[in-house]
Amino acid sequence: MDAHVDQLTATEWSGGTLPYHVGHKKLGMWLFIVSDALTFSALLIGYSYVRASSDQWPTPFKFSPSIIFSTVMTLCLLSSSFTMVMGVAASARRDFKKVRVWLGLTMLGGLAFLVLHLYEWRHLIKDEGLYPWTLPHEWLERWPQASPLFGATFFGITGLHMFHVLTGVLYLGAIALRARRNTHEDVEIAGLYWHFVDLVWMFVFPLIYLLSVDFGAK
Amino acid sequence: MSSRLVDRVKDLSKKEDVILNLISFALAVGFIIFAIANISMAGTFLSIDSLFIMAVSLMMALIFLVSPLMWLHANGMLKMPGAGGEGVAPKADLVPVHFEGTTRLFLSILGWLLGLTLVEVFLAYIHVPLHIMLTILIGLSLIKAALIVAYFMHLRFERLSLVLTLIPMLVVCVCLLLVFFPDSFRSSALRYRFNGGGSATAVEGGH
Repeated sequence: MDAHVDQLTATEWSGGTLPYHVGHKKLGMWLFIVSDALTFSALLIGYSYVRASSDQWPTPFKFSPSIIFSTVMTLCLLSSSFTMVMGVAASARRDFKKVRVWLGLTMLGGLAFLVLHLYEWRHLIKDEGLYPWTLPHEWLERWPQASPLFGATFFGITGLHMFHVLTGVLYLGAIALRARRNTHEDVEIAGLYWHFVDLVWMFVFPLIYLLSVDFGAK
Repeated sequence: MSSRLVDRVKDLSKKEDVILNLISFALAVGFIIFAIANISMAGTFLSIDSLFIMAVSLMMALIFLVSPLMWLHANGMLKMPGAGGEGVAPKADLVPVHFEGTTRLFLSILGWLLGLTLVEVFLAYIHVPLHIMLTILIGLSLIKAALIVAYFMHLRFERLSLVLTLIPMLVVCVCLLLVFFPDSFRSSALRYRFNGGGSATAVEGGH
């Protein structure tokens, strides 16, 4: 028995059979997260590349509505990450009611983020006239040599992130519905995914929004 | 007789360990020197070739450093940073119960994340030059990402082997992606300039 335990829990360099000491599902989620992080970093680096190689880049986000709006979105996502952590802690205590409540709050934060973000997209498309391959006329008058790829990078990156948030909300819903049948690790894995979505926004928000603040005269 | 032989073999393999580790340590130092020499000789540091050579040689140095560092660690001469002296991985708990953190810890992490976000937004409110802004934002975002990964995603409390499997892979791949970045400056410098903005927009509007 002791030898068996030793083999299961030996360190990774001594031929232990659980070298990472996590379940296969969790390891799978971690590997998915790393590959997804590479997708997002490729997109963000591509965006930086296009921006650095363009003669001009539009900086359209006024501090007063746009940046404050997206800051509120960031706060929604950050607090939903916190409620997720609390949900995982409740799941460790096998307190299923609390798990449902915390997961529900997390989904609410995610949905608030989605609604605000879609509202912003609608404003940019309908009111400003920004499309993936063309800039609005007023922007072109202000930044005559601006690259038309602004819309492509903006909608591409925030759209992929929005898709992740949507998937995350559905995933959390499925986990919350099955709360009693889940193992603790299932809830933890859902948490990993949700925190990753939050983490990606921690890079999208500064690079896309905070570096494109409209300071008026240019 | 036989025990003396075993001792000698052990002694020899110990010596062999030391020699091999010294060789790979020397190779690692060589690659680091190569990287430094590259900076001083390449002229411009921000070019694809220079960055590529740097990334590759630093990576090679890292690979050759792994074995000596593991050997030092195994012989107790090197304590893992962040482990706080005592071993992190609990050896004999079959049920994966690990530290979950307390509400207070999570609240303080949340406070830090919110605070750093507000600092970033404040920097956007006051006018900071683009390059400085970019550097500060990336730095703060990396700190926030590390906080989320370490505490919200519990990676700080997982085994070192998991951390070593996930993080270096990500860092190396991102470095290799960044190697192509200086090309953007060159493609900007090489571009044919139109006369006036009007024609440029007309051309680009055709997409």
